[in-house]
Amino acid sequence: MAPQSMFEGIKVIDFSHYVAGPHCTKMLAEHGAEVIKIEPLTGDPARMLPMHKEGRSAFYVQHNLAKKSLSLDLAQPEAQKICHDLIRNADVVVENFTPGVMKRHNMDWETLKAINPNLVMCSISCFGQDGPLAQLPGYDFIGQAYAGILDLNGEPDRTPVFADLTFGDVSSGTHAYAAIVAALFHRFRGGEGQHLDLCLQEILFSYHDMNVQLHDASGGTYIPKRSGATHNVAAPAGIFKCGERYLFIIALGAQWENLAKTIDREDLLSDPRFADLAARGLNKDALNGIVQSWLDTIGDPDTALKILENAHIPCAPLLTVPEVMEHPHTKARNMLRTIVDPVWGELKIPRTPLRFSAFPDIPEQTASYVGEHNQEILSEILGYSNEDIDALETQGVINSIRS
Amino acid sequence: MTRKHVLEGVKVLDFSHFVAGPHCTRLMAEAGAEVIKVEAQMGEAARHLPVLKDERSGYFIQHNRGKKSLSLDLRTKEAQDICHELIKTVDVVIENFTPGVMKKFNLDWEAVSKVNPDVIMCSISCLGQEGPLSKLPGFDYIGQAYSGILGMTGAADGYPALSGMAFGDISTGAHAYGAIVTALYHKAMGGGGQFLDIALLDCLFSYHEMNVQVYDASGGAQVPQRSGHQHAFIAPLGLFKCKEDYLIIVALGAQWNNLLKLLGKEEWLEDPRFATPLTRNEHRDAITVEIERWLSTVSDVTEAVRILVEENHVPAAPILSVPEVMEHPHMKQRGIVQTVNDRAFGDVKIPGAPLRYSQYPERLELQASFLGEHNEEILREQLGYSEEKIAELNAAGVLSQKNI
Repeated sequence: MAPQSMFEGIKVIDFSHYVAGPHCTKMLAEHGAEVIKIEPLTGDPARMLPMHKEGRSAFYVQHNLAKKSLSLDLAQPEAQKICHDLIRNADVVVENFTPGVMKRHNMDWETLKAINPNLVMCSISCFGQDGPLAQLPGYDFIGQAYAGILDLNGEPDRTPVFADLTFGDVSSGTHAYAAIVAALFHRFRGGEGQHLDLCLQEILFSYHDMNVQLHDASGGTYIPKRSGATHNVAAPAGIFKCGERYLFIIALGAQWENLAKTIDREDLLSDPRFADLAARGLNKDALNGIVQSWLDTIGDPDTALKILENAHIPCAPLLTVPEVMEHPHTKARNMLRTIVDPVWGELKIPRTPLRFSAFPDIPEQTASYVGEHNQEILSEILGYSNEDIDALETQGVINSIRS
Repeated sequence: MTRKHVLEGVKVLDFSHFVAGPHCTRLMAEAGAEVIKVEAQMGEAARHLPVLKDERSGYFIQHNRGKKSLSLDLRTKEAQDICHELIKTVDVVIENFTPGVMKKFNLDWEAVSKVNPDVIMCSISCLGQEGPLSKLPGFDYIGQAYSGILGMTGAADGYPALSGMAFGDISTGAHAYGAIVTALYHKAMGGGGQFLDIALLDCLFSYHEMNVQVYDASGGAQVPQRSGHQHAFIAPLGLFKCKEDYLIIVALGAQWNNLLKLLGKEEWLEDPRFATPLTRNEHRDAITVEIERWLSTVSDVTEAVRILVEENHVPAAPILSVPEVMEHPHMKQRGIVQTVNDRAFGDVKIPGAPLRYSQYPERLELQASFLGEHNEEILREQLGYSEEKIAELNAAGVLSQKNI
């Protein structure tokens, strides 16, 4: 009998906060796993991030759909015992503290492995569990700096720039998700549990599809540098302006010939400055200037895009986030997910980008209040009496906040 | 339980090229899966990307170690028959052509699932399998433009900036890997085969951990926009200059208090202008002046980061170049830079895959194939073709082989 969801019966104990870990466990929850999120008594610090309505964070909602909340003071032995009891029957533990914090709470891999040898534990950190940088406080942008990514954004003679979005955090969550599922698959086929050590800085470094190899294989002569709006080595490739709108255009290989013909400059095909990819790269300023001149004569970005698209030349308008949200393609693909939150009502978030034909719909899900499931988890899963639970509340081991 | 890695025994037929698809099958090959890469007669496009050494591409090596190469002219019926026979024997089929191309080769999901209903097929594309943009030619930056990312990178009053690496392609490959192992797990639990539609655009759009929600929940009042080297909504979060180098400082929550102590501006703790992250953002220029004043008293960026991080627990980092990252002691200790010894190219350094499993701490030794290197092995051993039949296919130009 086929399971009702892809992770039916999989139990996850989630110690994570902010984005990278929560994105991972959100994906597990969306595909059917039962996720219990262990929060500090004051809640995941992401609950402080905007937008807020009556104290309810939409940021938190986006990253924590369908997780049950158990709020615990992990410094107290009773809280640690509760976690150990839950982990004994769980399949997965996820955490993204700075390395060392889980050990302080008696929740490191050595301890948990002894409690449940079949456990898959995933630690997500900025710099990994060891190495000289491991103990540094980490953020996405710190990881980007140490991965050599920030250095590559912006004008050559100016301060580097960055986009206000944490692609490192979110995509690290996905990497963690993939590693966890691979480990679950391995376990299902007779393998044991194991510990997964993932870190943002290394994941971000893997995004150099070319730079590391180019630098090394060129004997150090090629040094990747930021090059503003145009590509550092390939041309024509970059961001151009047409009317009031920026357009991205790239024309390599056969598409270069298409472009020369499309802009009525077949003479360029016999111009020695543009004879091959390497020559075009060396003369990129001249070539990009020719493309810009053509756009200036067209003047209207929609017209320019239509002409280029009809000639199969890769191009795109640079959209703002609101424009993306309103775009017909976004609507046709349901890229925006509208959730219904008890406080916020309808709220739009990006849909998780995994699309399975066997499960085309993501279930309706909401995010929990702090400690919303304390009672349910302690009494139904661990068999605590109401008196036990009251006592824990009095001692400050658990609490709940309606936000 | 002795298995060389978590995916040993999983068989993959890989029609992908360039980066996103090959990165996915690289992750699978590095996890022990058996990957057959079906390549065009010329070899896939990435075989011609630099650095080239005797026609051998370092770029290709980075993304294609551990895959067998079968070179086929997919326009021919014979090649399509070979693929159909192989599909009967595999668990996973992967491709990243523009939507519609696989159908031309009789290799779309409808045809593939008819041949093997239990197979998992993953199509990776720039803009997805349907929708008005789906047929456009796609590149990483095209996905970045349509996801609102490219427009958000750069100075507010200037041109947006391109980032110098393919984070969309590589991370989409990792998403595809996640979806495939999910479907494999589901199949092992009694579910059947299925089709996975993974798009760069979807992945890139999901990276808006905040912008979509902030725009929607603010009723359209907060419009995400590019803000150069400072975050648009949060301060202090941005890049600063120290002598000739740059560093990034992120001081939120308690770390803001730590920063004020370092700057000697404790009085700001009581100042209503700096009471909350939002009001701090309104008065960011005053904060920047104080940070720059302090930086001007420090000898260099290394010392600035040391004082911030080690003495004051304020998150900060130097902006490293790629060569500096490759030489950094942390990267060396963690083995983040992987040296691959290619049979033709020699040693070449690449970023190691970032998935680390405690049961398999060592990376598998893997080689990138020459074009068509495994034609005969695959046809003879997996499909039982005779020497004569293989010779016929070679003569008919269905197969090709070249040591590149």
